[in-house]
Amino acid sequence: MKWFATEEAGVKKPSHLLLTLLCSLLAVCCVAVLAGCGGQTAEPAADETATEEPASDVVDIETVSDGKLIVQSDLAYAPMESVPEGKTAEDAEGFEVDLVQAIADKLGLTVEWQQVQFDTIIPAVKQGGTVDLGASSFTITDERLEEIDFSEPYMDSNQAIVMQKSAASSIPGFDVSQDVAGTERLDAVKAALDVEGTKVAVQSGTTGEAWSQENLTKAETVPLADVIQCLTGLQSGLYNAVIADYPVMAYYCQESYTDLEVVAAIPTGEQYGIVVSKDNPGLKQAIDKALAELEEDGTIAQLQEKWFGQAS
Amino acid sequence: MNARETSRVTRLRAAGPGATAKARVKRYALLVCAFALGVIGLLAVVAPTPAQALTVSSTTARPNEDGGDHVIGGLPTRLTWEGRVEAGEELESITLTMPEGGTFEGSSTRVTVLDGLNRQDVAAVATPDGTTLAIVFDEPIPEDSLVRLEVTGVAFPNADGDYVIEGTYENQLGEQVLPSSPAISVIANTPVQGLVNWLDQQPWVEAWNSNPFLSMFFKPQILVSSFAALFPGWLVCLAIVLVAYPFAILFGLCFAFMKMSRFIVVRAIAVTYINILRGTPLFLQIYIAFFGLPMLGIQINVYILGCAVMAINSSAYLAEIFRAGIQSIPVGQYEAAASLGMGHMRTMISIILPQTVRRVLPTVTSDFITSYKDTSLLSSVGVMELMMYAKNMTAITGNITPYMTAAIFYLIVTLPLIKAITVVERRIARSESGQGPRPKGGELTEEDLQLDLAQDALAQAAHAEADEPAALEPAYLPLAREGA
Amino acid sequence: MARRRHAQPHFDVPPALPADEAASLAYEHDKDLSTHAFKEGEHPLVRIEHLNKTFDDNQVLKDVNLNVWREEIVVVLGPSGSGKSTMLRCINMLETPTAGHILIEDDEITGTTKANLNEHRKRIGMVFQNFNLFPHLSAKENVMVGQTKVLKRSKAEAEAEAVKQLTAVGLADRMDFMPSQLSGGQQQRVAIARAVAMHPDVILFDEPTSALDPELVRGVLDVMRDLALNSGMTMIVVTHEMGFARDVADRVVFMEGGVVVEEGTPEQVFDHPQNERTRAFLGNITD
Repeated sequence: MKWFATEEAGVKKPSHLLLTLLCSLLAVCCVAVLAGCGGQTAEPAADETATEEPASDVVDIETVSDGKLIVQSDLAYAPMESVPEGKTAEDAEGFEVDLVQAIADKLGLTVEWQQVQFDTIIPAVKQGGTVDLGASSFTITDERLEEIDFSEPYMDSNQAIVMQKSAASSIPGFDVSQDVAGTERLDAVKAALDVEGTKVAVQSGTTGEAWSQENLTKAETVPLADVIQCLTGLQSGLYNAVIADYPVMAYYCQESYTDLEVVAAIPTGEQYGIVVSKDNPGLKQAIDKALAELEEDGTIAQLQEKWFGQAS
Repeated sequence: MNARETSRVTRLRAAGPGATAKARVKRYALLVCAFALGVIGLLAVVAPTPAQALTVSSTTARPNEDGGDHVIGGLPTRLTWEGRVEAGEELESITLTMPEGGTFEGSSTRVTVLDGLNRQDVAAVATPDGTTLAIVFDEPIPEDSLVRLEVTGVAFPNADGDYVIEGTYENQLGEQVLPSSPAISVIANTPVQGLVNWLDQQPWVEAWNSNPFLSMFFKPQILVSSFAALFPGWLVCLAIVLVAYPFAILFGLCFAFMKMSRFIVVRAIAVTYINILRGTPLFLQIYIAFFGLPMLGIQINVYILGCAVMAINSSAYLAEIFRAGIQSIPVGQYEAAASLGMGHMRTMISIILPQTVRRVLPTVTSDFITSYKDTSLLSSVGVMELMMYAKNMTAITGNITPYMTAAIFYLIVTLPLIKAITVVERRIARSESGQGPRPKGGELTEEDLQLDLAQDALAQAAHAEADEPAALEPAYLPLAREGA
Repeated sequence: MARRRHAQPHFDVPPALPADEAASLAYEHDKDLSTHAFKEGEHPLVRIEHLNKTFDDNQVLKDVNLNVWREEIVVVLGPSGSGKSTMLRCINMLETPTAGHILIEDDEITGTTKANLNEHRKRIGMVFQNFNLFPHLSAKENVMVGQTKVLKRSKAEAEAEAVKQLTAVGLADRMDFMPSQLSGGQQQRVAIARAVAMHPDVILFDEPTSALDPELVRGVLDVMRDLALNSGMTMIVVTHEMGFARDVADRVVFMEGGVVVEEGTPEQVFDHPQNERTRAFLGNITD
């Protein structure tokens, strides 16, 4: 068709196009840099005048919005943090939600929860300017510490492998009577999963993802936005297993996904911390101090009792 | 004996980079022999004195290939080493040894001691020194504990090979030889990673990255590594949409004709199909297909299912585009075809559809662009496409640059197409303005007119030659126009 | 496309006449009304008997009867809305007659199947007021498409015929032009070549010059005139071009209000119109 052939004339110069694209990208960068510089020089100047006066022993807490802690979380990780059915992020509930509230009370601040994707939280906190804290059951790791700061740990955790009940019973060498945390069980499940063609769903950016990539090298690790997606997919047979934090998986298997079960625990002894920007050491100090007090006065133990039915 | 055996193997392994394939085969043979020997040796050592051996339960290294799943030698990675303190033992310290060429230098170590699932409060001091890492516990670790060492910032030797970590430990009885760890596969550095390392050392890169915005959105190192890492995802995107689209066109055409059918039942089916698909978000359709079908016991490969969902979704939009296109062809075209004796099918194939294609091509291209972009929604159900790769890389690096790279990958396809649409639309506008009945006195330029008159004169001359010249002469100017 | 259904008025028309009877009646009726030399015993090429057509409530054709003989040039005149175009479009069934008969060489095409209808349409060429060229095909391809797709001629054969016919209409150097690159006059000449290339028994011209700029009319009329005088083609021409009618027509038919008011040789109709309405129409125009 003649008409198609003549079209090419318009598309012929990709180099030209690319150049235009690059130029415009550069232009955007420049504008952004200028804007960024302007913002940065202005802020400290304002702070200097403001912070010089107050007494030094009162920790001066800087937040993005005065009098308020803006906290990002994926809020899909019961009983750590979740949004009850039919509610919004404002009505978030869970162990970590109560904990952050208790900290905020100590600091005399109000809390605003923002529901975002798990893997965007650390970049957002690092970037600064929009959010103060990340509280989404973050395990403290040295890699993450290169990007951001963590509060002192407030809770210990482990990983868990979840499978369909029916699939679990057919694993060779698997015995329900064995201890869920025992090596025998973990070895049996690992051997069953670490084969070509197996799909293991994990939440993107989590320690569970890293564990799966490192230990189940033959299986395909499928990173998804949140654990609800992982569990729904597992339930419908899309994936063979889900790996995520033990307390949360145990909760979901008991409460909502009754045809799934934790087939093995992976002892990692990891610890949860609250994500704070490295540029805001004052906030980290204040939170650590509050956490120590909450530990001291038994609040954390109470909250654990409330959300996990046991104090650790 | 065991330790000596394996350390020889590791040294051989480390000799890697310039070795020929033959030598590599030889080395593998050696490795297998050595391992066999090692295992026998281990059994020989362990069997008689089971009470005095720390078992190594697992040793892994985190993939450090940006966006890939390999462990690259010579670059920082995280080593996770786990050992179990056996009955009767009390562990006081551990020294890990990296094969020659690797290093613990500059690493940080996170020590976790567990009793079952319970974390024990244990303090330890880790001292990296070249190829060794010494960990000394404040108090002896009791029997049955799991010791977990996460060493961030270690580097394996910079050559292909399977490496084992070995070393020594001290218990209440003194220094013991640590059983070798399971082997860890390491690949030599890739060209991309090489370029990234080179960038790491450039002063201008450092200056660029000192700006928080630029380093967050356009970090050169990540830009380079993500281009390589995202490429397979881009191919998946293209493959999905290129496989899906022909089917979408086919289905779209079918449903377009069904919607124009004489039979109400056929029309109703088409209308329902089109309206339901156009009336619900693609995201929802993807969810239903990916989570719903498996629950019904229908297991389909996710890539095929992805193509199917994209094709079905697009077909509904295309059906409407095609129907509108077909119905926009003037009735005169049908009449002209009919007057030549063409049947309905023939008219459609030879006359109507080719014209429809011209007319709908810009809209179809727009829809193609939308479909191509919408493949990103498949990442939410675990299809490994562009967005998925970008998301994973952002999760690992904590940097937005991979998303920028993904944007560039999308634009590489969409910008030329958008340009093409503009060109096509202009062309159509031009050709359509010259079509059909001309409004009297309008449109025609002086030049056209001259051309036409010259043509007419030519034709007349040609006729005049053939005919009797006299018969042609009488002027039959149109009376109607004369009167007007 | 669906038209609102109206209660169709019912017309009682007798069945089509037997061929021989119709031929002799037609001969008797037409022999003095046309300059065309047709012989007794010859059968008319096109027979229109008791043709009625209504659009909704509007009756546009009322019991029209007309015969067209092989090689005869019939020009149909009449004010707009007189039904002349509708009559023409009924002949190749672009409009379905409400009642009556259309016969081509004594084969009735009214009420036949679609497949049959297409067979008949191959033998009836048509040139439209708006040209209706296929815009996606070049001039040559426009002339070829019917030949290859309908008559199943070989590509080479069709191309040779297209070249021949386009040359005949004076477009030898415009063969590969797209319709949008041609002037209205040129487009209409391509349309004529397209019709002629099918070698039909009869070509219907539906106001072929009405959509043209005045300067371009002559070229098209020249081509039609050439066709009429030199090819022996049977032509039924609906037009307002009186000069053309007078020069070329064997018979002029004047229609008004859906009926044939007067017919005869150009001399009879133009110079000695019998009917008051014909006189009024011609008077209006020539004054």
